[in-house]
Amino acid sequence: MVRSTLTRLFLILYAFAPLSASAQGGNPYDGDRTAIRAGRALYGARCAQCHGGDAKGISGPDLTLLWAAGTSDDRVFRTIQTGVSGSIMPSSAAPEKEIWALVAYVKSISTVPEFDNDRGDAVLGREIFSSTCTQCHSVNGVGGRLGPDLSRIAAIRSRDMLIRSIRDPSASVAVGYRAVTLVTRDGERIRGVTKSEDVFSIQIVDTNERLQGYVKADLQELIHEDRSLMRQFDPGRLSDAQLDDLLQYLSTLRG
Amino acid sequence: MLLSRYLTFGKFMLARESRPLMRFVVIIMLALSTLSPAQSVAQDADTGIGYEDILQGLSDPSRWLTFSGDYSGQRHSPLDQITPENVHRLVPQWTFQTGTTTRGRGFETTPLVLDGVLYVTGSNNYAWAIDARTGRPFWQYRRDLPDDLTYGASAPVNRGFGMLGNRLFMVTLDAHLIALDRTTGNVLWDIELADYHIGYSSTMAPLVIDGMVIAGISGGEYPTRGFVDAYDPETGDRIWRFNTIPGPGEPGSETWPSDGDNLARGGGTTWMTGSYDPDLDLLYWGTGNPNPDYYDEEREGANLYTNSLVAIDASTGTLRWYFQFTPHDINDWDSNHVPVLADMMFEGEMRSVVMVANRNGFFYVLDRVTGEFLLGKPFTDTTWAREIGPDGRPIILNDGSLGCLPEPWGGTNFMPPSFNPALGLMFITARESCATYVPQEPDFTLGRNTSGGVIWIDRDQGYGALRAVDVRTGELKWEFLYPSPTMAGVMTTVSGLVFAGDHQGNFMAFEASTGENLWHYQTGSRIWGAAPMTHMLDGRQYVLIPSGTTLVAFALPEDRP
Repeated sequence: MVRSTLTRLFLILYAFAPLSASAQGGNPYDGDRTAIRAGRALYGARCAQCHGGDAKGISGPDLTLLWAAGTSDDRVFRTIQTGVSGSIMPSSAAPEKEIWALVAYVKSISTVPEFDNDRGDAVLGREIFSSTCTQCHSVNGVGGRLGPDLSRIAAIRSRDMLIRSIRDPSASVAVGYRAVTLVTRDGERIRGVTKSEDVFSIQIVDTNERLQGYVKADLQELIHEDRSLMRQFDPGRLSDAQLDDLLQYLSTLRG
Repeated sequence: MLLSRYLTFGKFMLARESRPLMRFVVIIMLALSTLSPAQSVAQDADTGIGYEDILQGLSDPSRWLTFSGDYSGQRHSPLDQITPENVHRLVPQWTFQTGTTTRGRGFETTPLVLDGVLYVTGSNNYAWAIDARTGRPFWQYRRDLPDDLTYGASAPVNRGFGMLGNRLFMVTLDAHLIALDRTTGNVLWDIELADYHIGYSSTMAPLVIDGMVIAGISGGEYPTRGFVDAYDPETGDRIWRFNTIPGPGEPGSETWPSDGDNLARGGGTTWMTGSYDPDLDLLYWGTGNPNPDYYDEEREGANLYTNSLVAIDASTGTLRWYFQFTPHDINDWDSNHVPVLADMMFEGEMRSVVMVANRNGFFYVLDRVTGEFLLGKPFTDTTWAREIGPDGRPIILNDGSLGCLPEPWGGTNFMPPSFNPALGLMFITARESCATYVPQEPDFTLGRNTSGGVIWIDRDQGYGALRAVDVRTGELKWEFLYPSPTMAGVMTTVSGLVFAGDHQGNFMAFEASTGENLWHYQTGSRIWGAAPMTHMLDGRQYVLIPSGTTLVAFALPEDRP
């Protein structure tokens, strides 16, 4: 007996929507309403935790921007299947039909990027970026390494997400950039971001951008700070007009 | 705000400045500007190593900064915490798993280590920064490779990084050279070495010398033309290219037919990291087989500079001298080996030599200043040639018509040997095999394999051995037999140990003078192409070996839970 809606959708998918094209030749379920419904269920079960229920991104990027940024169905299919190196996005061994259904769903909710071009001066924004942000962030190989690389940021994050990241960075911190303080047996305090951790050890990048591994037995204290290392740029620090300029500059960064 | 801008600018300048004096000035300025009351006490900013650090070789025990450990290619470590007396207590400390398998080959890398972090490349162009204490990762890089690789698909391997400043350099299966940021693994620049569609790939560990990244190319089983390139570490701009196959009318072209287009696809690939003499400013590099490997109807002549050792002037990329081990090769006996440089007494005189244990089964000693042939003695059962004549050319005994010959994988292969200068012994992974060659005219299509032949190998007659060869005489001092030909590299230490591996997965330690086996560990996969490395960390000596899908680190046991 079919119990769950999800299973029912799968059965519909397999019974009535056979694959008609090869994996290389585009999405066989493109625009297919049944497949899109199945893809939405799959999305909720497997992708929403990182990419958000609305696909606007949490620790994973905003998926509604992908097609506007110039991707293809084949590329998205491959990314789901093979994962993304250097990130938390895993690979998937799901059947091809399911992955195509996912692609069809995400494409169906994709939007044009929200950056409107009538506010802010990108040249001023770039100056703000150079004086304030490059200490921790890199663009095209220039800048700091403590925070995420921003070379492609406009292709993977919406304007709303960027505003939140700047005004309230600790609201949501990407995996690999969560602040930690280590205290050694000699009382030395080392601050950085956690790259990986297990029961016995932790690997960080410290505030001098140095990769450091520590055995926990050698530490006096390990403090996971539920916050970002990035300071909060409230309107007192960065006015709304300056924020608009900065966003205008960031909107040009598409890798 | 002003201080942070200054610091940012200073770090930017430091990353870009390679001149030692200017780096010193910038560092002093940064240091003075950051003097402040104690806040979070952090260690110095991580500016990475310069050429002068690589020049120090293995003298800093915590480091391994280039493929062979240093520019000499000896792979001989000065570490002596692990000795013949205590090596039997060596135990694994951690295992790192790559999560990627290698079709038909092995995990061939040599990790680099700096400040407690290992920098490791893997198959399928994966790469990692790993905590040397625990084997846990900091970052992973994986290249988005095209679906239509040619040679790269049959050998999806990589032998390691080059390192300079905050950059790591790696070659790729689609024949690119890339620079990664050492802290993040992000790509800083990416340039094409050659068009992979033709048959090119790249798998070797780049060699960093002063102001240059040296890279070689693979693809000798395809209609390719080999080269050694030098690139600017900051920008990826090419500084020079040395073609191993001469152009029409160039010196060496007389060893090819004057008509025909073989020069454009002559082979002579350069896929093992060479060695370097900074005083002579010479790069020593091995070259591979002519193409087609076995079918020689249309390439009469010695086919320079295939199956050779070339000495390249590093400033200009021009040839100083060459020595050809196997003229007009028809057995695919590439000379892609690590050349081993040494200064030693040879026949009563102090000599600067380069030594090569060659795929053709002979051990060679050459004067590395002039290329003069000093010694050529077999270290395997070399039925194909009786001896090496005084001019350095082999005197042919068996062209195949008198029974089997060593198989294409040769009497040894690319896996690094090691040299113990105090004992005057070269340790070679030797392979004994019996094969019959049947040449066939290949289809000369770009992107198609053009080896031109079929090889029948008699597996029952094959075996392997770790052999210790006296470099002054070429005589065998001792051997340790393996049940089959193996592909593992060798490392030695000053305490008189030899570390080696076999095709059945054993990683082993031997006493260097006698060959007595002192320790072994089953890694679970044939040790293929990789040679061990070693370093000090927290007062303990670690020995590492890549095998299959794992990297294992060993040390003497500690007295703690």
